[in-house]
Amino acid sequence: MPSEKESRPRRPGREPSPAQWDWDCPATRRRLEELYFREQDYIRAGSEDSRNFWAFFERLRRFQSRRSERECEPAVSRGPAEPPAASRLLDLPREYDARYRINLSVLSADVEGLARGRRLDPGPPREQLSEFRMALLHYLDFTQKQSFAKLAKLHRERAALPIAQYRDRLLRAVAQNQVVVVAGDTGCGKSTQVPQFLLAAGYSHVACTQPRRIACISLAKRVGFESLHQYGDQVGYQIRFESTRSPATKIVFLTEGLLLRQVQREPMLPGYHVLIADEVHERHLHSDFLLGVLRRLLPARPDLKLVLMSATINIRLFSGYFGGAPVLQVPGRIFPITVIYQPIPKEEASTSGKSERLDPRPYLRVLQAIDHKYPPEERGDLLVFLSGVAEIGAVLEAAQTYATHTQRWIVLPLHSTLSVTEQDKVFDVPPPGVRKCILSTNIAETSVTIDGVRFVLDSGKVKEMSYDPQGKLQRLQEFWISRASAEQRKGRAGRTGPGVCYRLYAESDYDAFSPYPVPEIQRVALDALVLQLKSMGLGDPRTFPFLEPPPLSSLETAVRYLRDQGALDEAEDLTPIGNLLAQLPVDVVVGKMLVLGALFGLTEPTLTVAAALSVQSPFLRPAHANPDCATARRPLESPHGDPLTLLNAFNEWVQVKSERSGCSRKWCRRRGLEEHRLYEAANLRRQFQELLRDHQLLEVASSQPSDSYSRQSRHRERRELHRLWRSHTETEGRKRKVLRLQDGAASSSSEEEEEGGARGRGKRSIDIQDVKFKLRHNVDELQAASSSVLSSSQLALLKLVLCRGLYPQLAVPDQLNSSRKDSDQIFHTRNKQGVVLHPTCVFATTPELLQAKEGSECGGTQDSKDGLSRHHQLLAFVSLLETNKPYLVNCVRVPALQALLLFSRSLDTSADCARLVADGWLELTIPDAEAALRLLSAALQLRATWEKLLNQKLEGRGREPGRQPSSQDVSVLTRGLLEFLQIEVLYSLRRLTGLEKQVLYIGPQTVAAAPRLPGLFQGTEMKPDEVKGGHRVTDYLTYNCLATDTDLYSDCLRSFWTCPHCDLHMPFTPLERMCHESTCRPPEAPLEEAAGSSSKTTALHRLYHCDVCQQEFMFTPTEILRHKKQHQ
Amino acid sequence: MESHKEAQPKGEFKCQLCGLTAPYTYYGQKPPNTRSIVLLEESYVMKDPFTPDKDRFLILGSQCSLCSRSVCVGTECSLFYSKRFCLPCANDNLKAFPLEIQEDMDKKKPQPKSFPSKKMDAKT
Repeated sequence: MPSEKESRPRRPGREPSPAQWDWDCPATRRRLEELYFREQDYIRAGSEDSRNFWAFFERLRRFQSRRSERECEPAVSRGPAEPPAASRLLDLPREYDARYRINLSVLSADVEGLARGRRLDPGPPREQLSEFRMALLHYLDFTQKQSFAKLAKLHRERAALPIAQYRDRLLRAVAQNQVVVVAGDTGCGKSTQVPQFLLAAGYSHVACTQPRRIACISLAKRVGFESLHQYGDQVGYQIRFESTRSPATKIVFLTEGLLLRQVQREPMLPGYHVLIADEVHERHLHSDFLLGVLRRLLPARPDLKLVLMSATINIRLFSGYFGGAPVLQVPGRIFPITVIYQPIPKEEASTSGKSERLDPRPYLRVLQAIDHKYPPEERGDLLVFLSGVAEIGAVLEAAQTYATHTQRWIVLPLHSTLSVTEQDKVFDVPPPGVRKCILSTNIAETSVTIDGVRFVLDSGKVKEMSYDPQGKLQRLQEFWISRASAEQRKGRAGRTGPGVCYRLYAESDYDAFSPYPVPEIQRVALDALVLQLKSMGLGDPRTFPFLEPPPLSSLETAVRYLRDQGALDEAEDLTPIGNLLAQLPVDVVVGKMLVLGALFGLTEPTLTVAAALSVQSPFLRPAHANPDCATARRPLESPHGDPLTLLNAFNEWVQVKSERSGCSRKWCRRRGLEEHRLYEAANLRRQFQELLRDHQLLEVASSQPSDSYSRQSRHRERRELHRLWRSHTETEGRKRKVLRLQDGAASSSSEEEEEGGARGRGKRSIDIQDVKFKLRHNVDELQAASSSVLSSSQLALLKLVLCRGLYPQLAVPDQLNSSRKDSDQIFHTRNKQGVVLHPTCVFATTPELLQAKEGSECGGTQDSKDGLSRHHQLLAFVSLLETNKPYLVNCVRVPALQALLLFSRSLDTSADCARLVADGWLELTIPDAEAALRLLSAALQLRATWEKLLNQKLEGRGREPGRQPSSQDVSVLTRGLLEFLQIEVLYSLRRLTGLEKQVLYIGPQTVAAAPRLPGLFQGTEMKPDEVKGGHRVTDYLTYNCLATDTDLYSDCLRSFWTCPHCDLHMPFTPLERMCHESTCRPPEAPLEEAAGSSSKTTALHRLYHCDVCQQEFMFTPTEILRHKKQHQ
Repeated sequence: MESHKEAQPKGEFKCQLCGLTAPYTYYGQKPPNTRSIVLLEESYVMKDPFTPDKDRFLILGSQCSLCSRSVCVGTECSLFYSKRFCLPCANDNLKAFPLEIQEDMDKKKPQPKSFPSKKMDAKT
C-alpha cells in the first residue's frame, strides 16, 4: 500500500513530525533536490523544470488538503472490499490506487539508500520522501499529458485543414503530371501542408519559393514544428543572407529571387526534384519571370515536378501557360464576414487631402465602434490595412493616445522595414480584456498571418513603386487596391471565427476597383530582369514567352539603359562587365562601383558604400531625431555626400562593435541609426566581397590568424557564439509572450523608443543580433578594413568611382540656389526639373557645401553674373524617389567640369573647344580656350587609359598576372586622374533650355570638307558626324558640331603653339593640336624612355601610310605631322 | 503494428483508433537518457518536440494489453490502469475496473477532455 495514503489522514492536524517538517523551507527543498534532481536525473536542480515542479507540488498539496478536509473519511471512497471477478480476469490490482494510472515509475532505490546512509543527517522522514516521490510521479505524468495534448491538438488541426482531404488527390496528380496547379483560398493550408505531403510521400530535394523572405522563415519554422522536427534539419530556408540549409535538407523554402539566381548558375537546376511556386497569383516580377524560366526548363527536365500554388484568382492563366496543367481546387476555410462600408465623409476627405499626413479620425471611429459594440471579454483583434509606413505612423500616434486613454488596446505597427523581433510582437497575445490593433501595410494581406483577428479595417489603399523609365524615376504612389486584394484583406477577419470588415470606401468604389492587381512586371524597371535573362542565355527579351508580356517600351528602355551603362554591347550581348553585373543582386550602378573600386585598390571602402547604398538608409528621418541625436550624428557626416557619410557611419559602427560589442545598440540609438540595416549592410558587404572573389576581382584573403593559439581562441569563441545562438533559437520563437499595455505604448511614437521597449523586455537576454553578426563575419578583418582612414587622394578617387558608377544620374544645382533658403534648394536632372534633396541628405542641412561661389582667398574677382567659378559642383545621386515631391536620394558632390569631361557619353565642342555640351543638356563655357583644350585632351587620354585598364581587369580575371593591368599603369592613371581633378579653371555651367537643345548642332550640311587627319587619333578615324555635324573624334567626342552664330571658321584657323612634350612649334588648328597632344605622350613616363633608349622604335612609333607619297613609315606622331607639313 | 520495427530509430507510430501519427525514436520501457525513469509498459516514445531539452521524451502510445492494437495515450483512445487498455476493450470490460475508473469513464463520455487537474480529481 502506498505510503502516501497513510500519511494523508494525519496531515490536517499539522502533525509535528520529528524534524518539524516544512515543505516550504528552502533547505528542505534543497535537500530533496539533492536527492532527486541530480545532474543525471530527468529533472535537474535549479532548472526551469524544477521550478515548475515545485509550483505543481504546491498546487497538488493544496488540492489534497482541501480534499481531505472535505472527505474526512477517505476510506469511504475506496472501491469495494472484494474486487469483481472480472478484475481478476484482467489481472488488475486488488485495490484501487491512483498510482496505477500512471504508466511510469521513478527508480529511487539508490536515492533512499543514500538518504539512509547518512548517519549524521537523518534525512527526510520516510513518509515525506514517499509523498515527494508520489508528487514527482504525478508531475511527470502531468507533463506527459501536457505535451501529448499539444501533439494531439496539432494533429487535429492539421487534419481539419481543407487541404487534408485533398492529400491523395494531390499526390496522384503530382505523380501523373509534370505541372499541377493547386488553387486554394486563404486558410486552406496549402503552404504548410503541400510540402509536408510531398515529403511524407517520399519526395526529396523540394524547393518551395515564396515572394517574401519573412514567409520563408516562418514557413520553415512552422513546417518543422508541425512535422515535429522529425525531419530535423531536413526542413530549411534560404534567404539573401541567411540559410539553414544543409546537406540533409530535403525541403527548402527560399525566395523567388534566390531560385532565379540558382537558375543563373545552374540552368538545369540539378539540385531539385520538385519545385513548389507559392503565391504565384501575387504576380511579382520575380515570380512571373521564374514561371517563364521554368516553362523553358521543363521539357529539358522531364523528371522535374512543378507545383504552382495560387489563390483562386485567374487560375486559367496559370494552367493555360503550362499547357493546360490540371488544377486542384481546394476550398478555403473561412467564417462568414460582415462587411461594413464606411466611406470617409466628403468634408473630411477634402480637408485631409491638403495636408500630407493621413487623417486618423476615420480609423479611430472604428476603434470606438468596436469598443462600443463588443464587450471586452469577447476576444478578437483588429487588423488595419494602411498604404505605407508614414500612414501607419499617423494612425499609430492617434490610436496610441486613444489606447492609453481607454486601456483597452495595444497598438502595434507591422511593416517589412521593422526588424524581425519587432514584427514578431504582433504574434504575442494581449492580456484579457485588451485587444491588439495591428497597423499593417499589405504585408499582412498574404505573407503574414495573424491568428485571432476578428476585425479588419481596410483603407482600400496601397502604395506601390511605379517606375518612370524615362527619368529612371521611382515613384511611390498610392493606388486603390484591386477587388482581389480587398477580398483578401477581408478574409483576414474570418480565419478563426465570424468576423467584421470595415471598409473606408463605398461599395460603388469597390465595384470600380480593377479585378486584379497590376502585375509587377507591367509597372517596374526591367533592367535587372533583362540582365538576368541575358545572362541565362534566354535570348532576346522582346520575344521571351512571358506569362503576360510587359510593355515593349519597358523592355526597350531597359535594353537601352543597359547599353548606356555598358552592360550590353551594340549587339545586345553581355559585355564582360555586364556578365559580372548580372550576378550581383544589386542595382547596375552599384555593381559598377564595385568593379571600378577594385581597379583602384579601393575595394574595401567601395564594398562598404555599395552595401550601404543597397539597403534602406540606416539614418532615421530627422523628424524622429531630437537635437541630441543630430549632434551625435554630426561627426559621421561627410561634407562630400551621403555615400561617404554612410561609409563613416558603418566604419564607426564596426569599431564600436569590435571594441565594445554590447554597446552598439545604444550607440546606434543615440545617433538615430537603425542598427538592423547596418547588420544588413554588413551581410551584403560580405556577399559582395565573396562575389568579387568568385570573379577574381579580389584576392582571396589570407588573414588567417597566424599562430595556433589565436586560431584556437577564435575557434573557442565561435563555439561559444554558436552555443548562444542555438540556445536562443531554441527558446525564442516558441513562446508567445503575453503583451502588456505598455508594450504598445513603448512602440508608439518612435522606433527609438520601440527599441528601448524591446531591450527592456529582453534585458536578461544577450543581443542575439550581435551574436549572429560575430558568427557571420570575421570581425577583426572587418575592423581592419574599416579602421583605415582614407587619404584625401583616395577620397577623391573614391568619389570618382562613385560618380562613374552613378553616371548619368547627375543633378545640377539651380542657378538661383544661393538666394534660396536652405530647405528650398532646387536641382535639375537631365529629364526632371525641380527636384529637391532628401531631408536626410547632408547637403539639405549644409547647402553651402554645394555653392560654387569662390572663397575669399581666391580674390573674389569673379562676376557672379557670368556664373564663372572654378568650383561648380554636380550631384551624382543613387536614386530619384517621388513621393509627394521628387527627391534625390543619396547624393555625392563632384567637380562638375572634370566629372563631365570624364564621364559624359556625349561631349560636343565648339571649334576652339571653349564651349562644351555634355550629354546634350549641360553647357560648359571656359573663357580660357587654351585651358579648355588642355583639359579636354587630358580627359581623352585618361578616359582611354581607364577604359583599357578596366577591360584588362575584367578580361584578365583569373588569368596569369601578365594579363592583369600592371600596378604601374594603374598608378600612372591614378596620378593622372588626381592631377586632372586639381586643375582649376574658371568656367560657367549652365543647363540648356529646351529651345537651345533643339538648335544645338550645326548639322551635317554645313560641314566643310573633312580634315583628313588619318592616324592622328590613336587609330580612330575622324569621321564627319552625320547628325550633329562636325567630326567624331571618339565614340563620345564630337568636335566642332555646336552651332554658333559667330565662329564658323575657327576650325580652320591655326595659331602657333609649342607642344610641351616634344617642343614642336608650329601653327595648329585646335583639332590638330588636340590630336597631337593625345598621341604625344609625356616623356616623363619612365617605361617608355627606357624602351626608347634600347631600341630605335619606341612605343610612340606607329605604322604610318602617307597618301601623298604612297609610302609607309614608322613615325612618331610628331614625325607624322612634320612629314605632312612637307606635302602642304 | 506494421510500422514498428524496433531497430529502426525513426519509424512511424500510428494510433489505430484516432489515426494520430508521429515518428517514434524508441520503443520499449527504458527510453535513452532517462536514468531514473522506467516505463511500466512497452511504449512508443519520441523526443518531446515541445521542449528544447534534448533528453525530454514523450510517450506516444503502446499496445492494448487485450487486443494488441496500437493506441495513443490520449484519453479518447486508451486508458492506463496498471496496463494499457484501448477504450473499446476497456468499455467491453468496464465491470472489471474499480468504481473510480468506471465513474471516470462515464464522466468522460459527455466531455472527453483531459485536463490535468481534473485528472487529479478523478483519482483517489
